Amino acid sequence: MKCPRTLLVAAGLLIFAAVDSLAGEVKVIANPSVKADAISAADLKRVFLEEKILLADGTHVEPVLGKDGPVHAAFRQEYLGLSEDDLQTYYRTLVFTGRGSMPKALGSDAEVVAYVARTRGAIGYVSSAASAEGVKTLAIDAPGTSAERKLLTRVEPDYPETLSRLNIGGTVRLRVSISAKGNVEHVELLGGNPILGDAAAVAVKKWVYAAGRSRTVEDVSLSFGGH
Amino acid sequence: MRRPIVEIVLACLCAGQFTVQAQDFKLFDREVQVHGFASQGFVYTNTNNWLTMNTSQGSGAFTDFGLNVSTSITDKLRVGAQVYDRNLGQFGRYHPSLDWAVVDYRFKNWFGVRGGKVKTTLGLYTDTQDLDFLRTFALLPQSVYPTDLRDAAIAHLGGDVYGTVPLRHGLGDIVYTAYAGHRSDSIYNGYEYLASSYKLYYSSYGGLQYGGDLRWHTPLKGLLIGASRMNEDLTGKGTFINPFNPDAGLLPESGHSKADWTNQFYAEHIAGKLRIDMEYRRFLHDERDDSGVTLLFENVTDVRGWYVSGTYRVMKRLALGSYYSRYSVTSVTTGPLAPLFPPQTDTSLPANHIYDKVISARFDLKKFWNIKIEGHFMDGYGASTYPDGFYPQVNPQGFKPNTNALVVKTGINF
Repeated sequence: MKCPRTLLVAAGLLIFAAVDSLAGEVKVIANPSVKADAISAADLKRVFLEEKILLADGTHVEPVLGKDGPVHAAFRQEYLGLSEDDLQTYYRTLVFTGRGSMPKALGSDAEVVAYVARTRGAIGYVSSAASAEGVKTLAIDAPGTSAERKLLTRVEPDYPETLSRLNIGGTVRLRVSISAKGNVEHVELLGGNPILGDAAAVAVKKWVYAAGRSRTVEDVSLSFGGH
Repeated sequence: MRRPIVEIVLACLCAGQFTVQAQDFKLFDREVQVHGFASQGFVYTNTNNWLTMNTSQGSGAFTDFGLNVSTSITDKLRVGAQVYDRNLGQFGRYHPSLDWAVVDYRFKNWFGVRGGKVKTTLGLYTDTQDLDFLRTFALLPQSVYPTDLRDAAIAHLGGDVYGTVPLRHGLGDIVYTAYAGHRSDSIYNGYEYLASSYKLYYSSYGGLQYGGDLRWHTPLKGLLIGASRMNEDLTGKGTFINPFNPDAGLLPESGHSKADWTNQFYAEHIAGKLRIDMEYRRFLHDERDDSGVTLLFENVTDVRGWYVSGTYRVMKRLALGSYYSRYSVTSVTTGPLAPLFPPQTDTSLPANHIYDKVISARFDLKKFWNIKIEGHFMDGYGASTYPDGFYPQVNPQGFKPNTNALVVKTGINF
């Protein structure tokens, strides 16, 4: 009897490891009507628990679930922190008390992508390898994981000669989306001189971070001209 | 006809050839969702009859079902309604009711309004007390959620304001609800049934109900803390037979609450497969009843209840749970009819408390179908002027101090 038990434990560990490793392979997608390029992990949870129906920019959002499967399990564990039982209980509570609807649940990545692509405000999740045609990928700012994203390679920006000669400097603030592998995927200028911002973005796109469990977002500041 | 229908449904389920799923359809290009549930229970007790059923012989008079329809008219506007019916011993008696019917408009994440017949938010489970498929237990702790008083707090005809406010510095979220409306009891409810044992027959009972609920999703993963308050201004109208002059026949009677409030404090912690709940509830009710001319009696009832429960999902299809529920009541009556209601102030007496130890197992046969087996070991019977599960009408031989109960319940939902 020892052998089957060992096999069962090994199988359980393998399944757990598979689900855990998939956490970094889930990407969050949105209908192009969603203006934001990134969303915090806390807000993502609020959206999927129907506590947040409007993003900060006023965009209406609607959660779209995957049906069962490792991608759904990975997303649920990573971003909602609920067991499948607790998640279903939560939605049924909303439905049977008149406080919400059962979110759309679809069976495959292709169905999720197709539904999100045609539904204004829809936000869903699929495996990283899934096609994202017609949808946009949202970067996730996951508190707690950002601190783990150690910067491995830093490239300093070129100070545009014209601005340097005229002694025009300052600080620019950038929002950086970092892939699970550590590459900078997207840079958004939050503040500062746009010309300096462009120069900073070119450099930051060459930065490399340590690999993480999922996409993260970080805000960075760069100074030009001794500021 | 009703009983055969329930039996046929259960027989189909038992045959395993039955699948149940939510129905969605489009109406004017809007998705309409249809969901429902039904359950059938059986209760056996070794001594006292419980919950107005003939449980000492075993009773299956424990049926309920509901059906709802809802849709989003716009991104921010939702409408829906649910019909509910039950037969639990003498309660409900298969008289269907509009459980809730709401128009809900969400202006912001932090501010929404809903109006119509709205489920009342009071503690963790008042609004979901009928929905046993959401829980491991067949019966919620009766010290805080007496099923015989379901109508008292299940819904109000009025409105809520509600919202979720994220706190800064990662301190979690605050979810608030404030409400006001009119409560209207069915005459097939515990309070009305108990009053009839005193020859007091209410034809209506209800009134203003208002209050609020504040719950904090703390930064500690899975920990929720909250508090609720409910105030009521109630009126009951009906007839009574004066026991000191029964020849006078039925006389008009009306009762008015001088004070009626409930405070409830609660905490919930979910850690993986483990869920732990704790709640404390205090209810105070001061009522004057008169014949329209003279005072009949004034009664002050003070109810205190609390419980601690834990559930654990052992495997995909099996969850186990246990709770300890403690209930006590004091009741003091003054006025001409006071001799009918002897004062009850010593909560150590079985007549003034119920301490219930419960173990429960839930089997999920399908995603939509569960069966529960539950044991209750009750010390006390709490028979007083307040309904608490044990009624003199179904226990004419008097009460025994202890009651053990076996509850078996099965239900479907979609």
